[in-house]
Amino acid sequence: MKTRARLPRLVATGATLALALSLSACGDGNGGASSDDGKIHVLVYGDASNKIEQQIVDTFNKTSDVKAVLDTIPGADYQTKLQTIINTPQAPDIFYNWGGGSIKPFVKADLLLPLDDFIKKDPGLKDKFLPSVFNSAVVDGKPYGIPMRGTQPVLLFHNKKVLEDAGVQPPKTWDELLAAVGKLKDAGVTPIALGGGDVWPTQMWFQYLYDRIAGPELFAKAIGGDKSAWESADSKKALDMISELVDSGAFGKNYDSVKYTNGGSVQLVASGKAGFELMGSWYYSQQLTDHKEFAEKDLGYTAFPTVEGGKGDPGNVAGNPNNYYSVMKKTKHPEAAAEFLKLMYSDEFVKAHLDIGNLPTTTNTDKFIDSSATPEYTRFQYDLVSDAPNFQLSWDQAYPQKASSDMHKAIQQFFNGQLDTDGFIKAMQALPTE
Amino acid sequence: MTTHLTSARPAAGPRKESRRRPPASSATTVGRPSFAWAVPAALFFALFAIVPLIMVAVLSFMSWDGISSPEFVGMDNWSRLIDDPVMLKSIWLTLLLTVLGVVLQTPLSILLGVWAAGHQRNRAVLSVIYFIPLLLSATAVSVLWRALLDPNFGIPAEVTWLFGDGNLFGEQSTAIGVLAFVSTWQFTPFHTLIYQGAARAVPQVLYQAAEIDGAGRYRQFFHITLPQLRTSMITSMILMIVGGLTTFETVLILTQGGPGTDTTISAYYMYDKAFKSFDYGIGSAIALALVVAATIISLIVVRVSGYDKMRSSMEGVS
Repeated sequence: MKTRARLPRLVATGATLALALSLSACGDGNGGASSDDGKIHVLVYGDASNKIEQQIVDTFNKTSDVKAVLDTIPGADYQTKLQTIINTPQAPDIFYNWGGGSIKPFVKADLLLPLDDFIKKDPGLKDKFLPSVFNSAVVDGKPYGIPMRGTQPVLLFHNKKVLEDAGVQPPKTWDELLAAVGKLKDAGVTPIALGGGDVWPTQMWFQYLYDRIAGPELFAKAIGGDKSAWESADSKKALDMISELVDSGAFGKNYDSVKYTNGGSVQLVASGKAGFELMGSWYYSQQLTDHKEFAEKDLGYTAFPTVEGGKGDPGNVAGNPNNYYSVMKKTKHPEAAAEFLKLMYSDEFVKAHLDIGNLPTTTNTDKFIDSSATPEYTRFQYDLVSDAPNFQLSWDQAYPQKASSDMHKAIQQFFNGQLDTDGFIKAMQALPTE
Repeated sequence: MTTHLTSARPAAGPRKESRRRPPASSATTVGRPSFAWAVPAALFFALFAIVPLIMVAVLSFMSWDGISSPEFVGMDNWSRLIDDPVMLKSIWLTLLLTVLGVVLQTPLSILLGVWAAGHQRNRAVLSVIYFIPLLLSATAVSVLWRALLDPNFGIPAEVTWLFGDGNLFGEQSTAIGVLAFVSTWQFTPFHTLIYQGAARAVPQVLYQAAEIDGAGRYRQFFHITLPQLRTSMITSMILMIVGGLTTFETVLILTQGGPGTDTTISAYYMYDKAFKSFDYGIGSAIALALVVAATIISLIVVRVSGYDKMRSSMEGVS
């Protein structure tokens, strides 16, 4: 089968890392000296947005004595590598993260600098950002992150032509969505495309339904450590509604074999084989890249439908409020870091991001939207996010990173019927919350 | 994580090779390797295999998330592992996939290997084509098949009489089938190569004698070729078993252990615990258990097959 034994190498890599880490941990403990080369290192997730980050770094370096250096790690490896270096001398000064649970363990290990002092000196570091977004990086009452990219609310996208042919209007309520599912099925298309093979797209249905039915409090309670939240009547109601939707054939039968990341579900909608897809706002540019003509002509979008009798505000959104820069406690140049972060609400920053289709979450974004590449779509998102009473961070990012694998398993298993309601509740209760 | 694990591949042939000594040159020891020759390799092995293995063993008694300092927890990880239904399931799945690999690949690669050892027309060209899957990395192969097996736009969408609704990755039986198939597709060429070499080494005189005795092609195959391939078969099967026990990338890319935990084999479970759930203690325990299991199984195979006696298949021939 395999020609070589992989395990020893896997073990060796793991243990060598362990060796390196424990040695360095012994060497300098937590607050130890990082190698100071008179620069601040900014570590980011490697993707298309890097060119703007480089531009910001260049701008910063023009006026600053302490120079900034941009380091990137290709996307899929980011979280693992960050976790590996964060407590070593190789740790960056400033790094990219998802706020919430993704930085909680670092805060707990006393690695991050609370940004209160920065904000005291320059209130703009807080006031110039949309509050619902800024708050996603507040841990234990203290701010630990400054929004540094675009917001990514999850929207319900659709193929206008498919809906039209089936005589369906974009749904505003859950009942309308159920009715639309029936009609689309009769028309012979998969009502809703879902990349279940990646699991996180499946999770989006959970996030929104829980928020609409129970309000954000339920999830806040659960992640705060009160696991009884998962047993509540609202939680069970949300699960029932998910089951009902799946059983009605809304997602077809093979969603677990479809992936978003290899373009499978994207193509389902673009080719007219499916009506809807629930996805983050990056979906628009994804379709634009993969299926330009469709994206320009027939791609529609709405907010997630309202659920009658639900406790959650219908204006709430879910997704990734933004990504954040956090500052390491042991940085040698906190003043320079503070100066660097101020660029995150500059006009230059906002314009540059709008140009590549990102939507920054600063209060000055508004005045540049109309001159952006896709003003209508950008405006829709901006209004949605700035009017939202609550922005629910994706569950797998809100929980500590170590919970995400087990969470994904539970979500996939409940969705395809391997777990019943009680089984799902138990699995969610078993997740670590800190 | 995975990419650099898979890309850095030293050119490793069958490992048993190193045991074989070159034939002793007559009367003189000039040019014969002394122990000193083994020092660099031994140092390397100690540094990158033995030391990490010991550290993993130590780590398996600790609780560590990679950030805070490791904490000694005694047998905690091990008792958790013993009570963990997913661990038990993963051992089952690992064995199942290993057996499937041996059962599927052995007959295929013997037939192909023996055929490729002959002198047919176009044989060389076809052999090269058969060999191609081995040249691709397991990662590339897995990405390729994941795309080819897309239920709506891949092969299943065209061949509906065979694949039904195409939900290959959504059910345990079909997901395992896909994993076994993809591994077979990739590694049969390698084993074919072993059998091709072995089949070429079978002395022609045996076939000539058989022909004189009036044995047909099938008799020749079952009574000469197959017995002569015995040692190669053992080499090939050991490689298949060790490879099967440590299958990783195909699962990582094709199924991520899913649906649920239905294809979570032990090596993937270790990765899941150590590198996704940041629980290095229990990950180390799984790794160590795997090392022990793989060693025992390899030893059993070597012992049972008589491979350790190094009997020559040429006995009684020349």
